[in-house]
Amino acid sequence: MATIPAKRKGQKFLSSWGVNIAIALTALRTNLMRSILTMLGVLIGVFAVTLAVAVGNGAQESVMQSINSFGSNMAIIVPEPDNEGGRRSYDRGRLTSRDLRAIEREVPGVIATAPQLRSTLDMVTAGANTSTSAVGTTPGYGQITNHPADRGRYISEADVRSAARVLVLGQTTAETLFGEFDPVGETVRVDGVPFQVIGVLEEKGSTFGTDNDDTAVLPISTMRQRFVGDSLPGPDDLQLAFAGFEEGASLVQGKIDITNLMKDRYRVRDGEINPFRVRTTQEFMEESQFITGILQAVLVAIASISLLVGGIGIMNIMLVSVTERTREIGLRMALGAKGSDIRNQFLVEAAVLCVLGGAVGLVLAWLAGSALTAYADFPVPIGIGVALGSLAFSAVLGLVFGSYPAIRASRLSPIEALRTE
Amino acid sequence: MAIPATQSADQGHPLIETRELVKSYNLGGEVIHAVNGVSLTIEHGEYVAIMGKSGSGKSTFMNMIGCLDVPSSGQVLIDGTPTADMSSDDLAVLRNEKIGFVFQQFNLLARTSSIDNVAVPLIYAGMDKAKRRERATAKLIEMGLGDRLLNTPAKLSGGQQQRVAIARALVTEPLMLLADEPTGALDTRTSEEIMAIFEGLNAAGITVIVVTHEDEIADHAKRRIEFRDGKVIEDRLVQNRAVATGALAVEEA
Repeated sequence: MATIPAKRKGQKFLSSWGVNIAIALTALRTNLMRSILTMLGVLIGVFAVTLAVAVGNGAQESVMQSINSFGSNMAIIVPEPDNEGGRRSYDRGRLTSRDLRAIEREVPGVIATAPQLRSTLDMVTAGANTSTSAVGTTPGYGQITNHPADRGRYISEADVRSAARVLVLGQTTAETLFGEFDPVGETVRVDGVPFQVIGVLEEKGSTFGTDNDDTAVLPISTMRQRFVGDSLPGPDDLQLAFAGFEEGASLVQGKIDITNLMKDRYRVRDGEINPFRVRTTQEFMEESQFITGILQAVLVAIASISLLVGGIGIMNIMLVSVTERTREIGLRMALGAKGSDIRNQFLVEAAVLCVLGGAVGLVLAWLAGSALTAYADFPVPIGIGVALGSLAFSAVLGLVFGSYPAIRASRLSPIEALRTE
Repeated sequence: MAIPATQSADQGHPLIETRELVKSYNLGGEVIHAVNGVSLTIEHGEYVAIMGKSGSGKSTFMNMIGCLDVPSSGQVLIDGTPTADMSSDDLAVLRNEKIGFVFQQFNLLARTSSIDNVAVPLIYAGMDKAKRRERATAKLIEMGLGDRLLNTPAKLSGGQQQRVAIARALVTEPLMLLADEPTGALDTRTSEEIMAIFEGLNAAGITVIVVTHEDEIADHAKRRIEFRDGKVIEDRLVQNRAVATGALAVEEA
C-alpha cells in the first residue's frame, strides 16, 4: 500500500496547519455573528483571568513597595508579657532601653536601634483639631523606618535628654491642623499642653488603607513622662523597638542573634516560651507574599469560572459546526482526508476562535489595567509574560474544549457523512 | 486493453475485483441486503455503466468499491490489494491516490474558488501550496475552465460546477473515476458535454465507472452492469455505443 514517505510528513504537517487556519478563518467568517458571540465568552474569560493575575501581581508589588519604604532591613522586637489568668504579669516579658543598647553593642550587623512608645494624642490648634497615633522615640527612628523629616528638622538627642515639648508632624496631620500654612515653628496643644512643631515628615502614602502620614513623632522622654508612663511597668520600659541592619546582613541570623541575646538577658531557659517576639521585614515580606498569593489565587479561581463557561461555549459551537458541516467532512474524507486531518481542522478552528477572543480580551484587560493604574492609584501590571501566558492559555483552552467535537468529527464514517443532507 | 497513462499499474491484477460482496443493514429487526453476494472484475481502462433502479444496490456497490463504505462480508481488491484489513488512514490514502469521485450534487465547497476546490485532494496528499495551485490550474484549464479559476461555485453554471468537480477528481492522477449519477442535476446538452469528457478521459487510459439509471448515459459506456435487489442481473458489453458530441475536447493527459 502506498503511504506517504517520511520525508514528506514534516512538510505535510506544516502546510496542513496553514491550510487549516485558512479553512478556520473562512468558516468563522461564514458565521460571523455566531463566531463573535462565541469569542465573547472566551474574551470575557481571558479578560477576567488576565486582570485577576495582574491585580494579584499589583497587590504584591505595592505591598513590597510599602514594606521596603519602612526600611527593608530591620527587626522588630516586641515584649510579650505572660497573660495568665487574665492578669498581666510583668515578671517576664519586658523590653528596655538597656536591651537596645546591648543589641547595638553585641549583635553583628546592627547599625542602629530605635525604641517606640505609641499613644493616640489629641492635638488642637486655633482653628482645627485632630487625633493621631503619635510615636515617642529617639533620633535614629527616622532613619531606621525610612521616614525622615521633609521640612524643618527631626527630633534630636538634646530634645530627648530635656524631654522637650516638640513635635514632628506627618503630612496628613500637618494638613488637618494647618491646611496650606507651614506648621514649622507653630504651636499645637497636645492633651492641653503646648508643643512646638519643629518639622514635617516626608510623605509616605497608605498601606492597606492605613494612612502612614497620619502621625506625629516626639521625643521618647516626653511621651513617657506626659502620656504613657503609667501604663508601663518601669521607667525604662518600651512598647517595642526596631533594630536596623546594615545592607546585605542576614536577617535570619540577625533574628537568631537578637533572640539569643534577649534569652540570655532575661534568663529564659531552653523549653520555656520566649517572653518576647522578634520579627523581621523579611518575614513580613514572605507573609505578605503568601497572603497576596492567596488573594491572587482566589481571584484567578473566580475568574476561571468565566473562562470555563467560555470554553463550554466553544465546545457547544464546535459541535454545531461539526453537525452543520458533516457533508463537507464526508467529502473531504472521500477526497483523501484522514481522521487526523479532519480532527486537526476542527481543533485549529477552535483554537483560532479562542486565540482571537483571547487577544481582544487581553487588549481590554490591558486597557482596564492601565486605567486602574492611572486613576485608582493601584498598580495593575500586565507584562509580556502575562500577555503571552494569556494567549497561550487561550490556545490551550481551544484545544481542550475543541478536542471532543474534533474527535467526533474525525470518527465519522465517510459514506454516512456524505449522505447527510 | 488500454494501459493507463497516468499511473503505472500492476498489470498482473485487475483494477477492481469483488468476491461475494455483501452489504446488509438491520432496519428495525429486519435484515436488508443492499448488495447480496456480488463477484465481478473490472480491468484497467474499462468504461463501465452500473445501472439499476433506486434501491437496486448500485450506489452501495459503488461506495464499497470506492472504499467509502465497508462491506458486511466479502472482499474488495483494488489493484490486487485486499482492502478488508486496511485501517481508515490507509483507505484515505488509497482514495486520495487511486480514486477520483464525481457526485450528482457536485459537492463543491461553497465560498471557495475553483482552484481551491480542485486543490483540496492535494492538501491531503501533502503537496505544498505553490505546487497545489499549479496542478489545480492545469486541471481546470484541461476542463476548459481557464477563465473561471477564481470563481466560487455560486458564480458557475451547473455544467461548469461539475467540470470543476471532475478536475478535482482527476487532480491526483487517479487510476479510476467513480461517478454517481454525474448528470442527474444537469440538462441534456450539458450532460452530453460531461459524457464527452468521460469518453476523452477513458480514451486517455483512465478507468471510468458511472452509476446511472438513465439508458442514454449508460449507452456511452463500453460495458453495462445492471443491478436488481442487490444482485447483478446483467453484465454485457454495449453493442451500439453512443458517441458524445460535446463541444469540449479533452486533451490527452
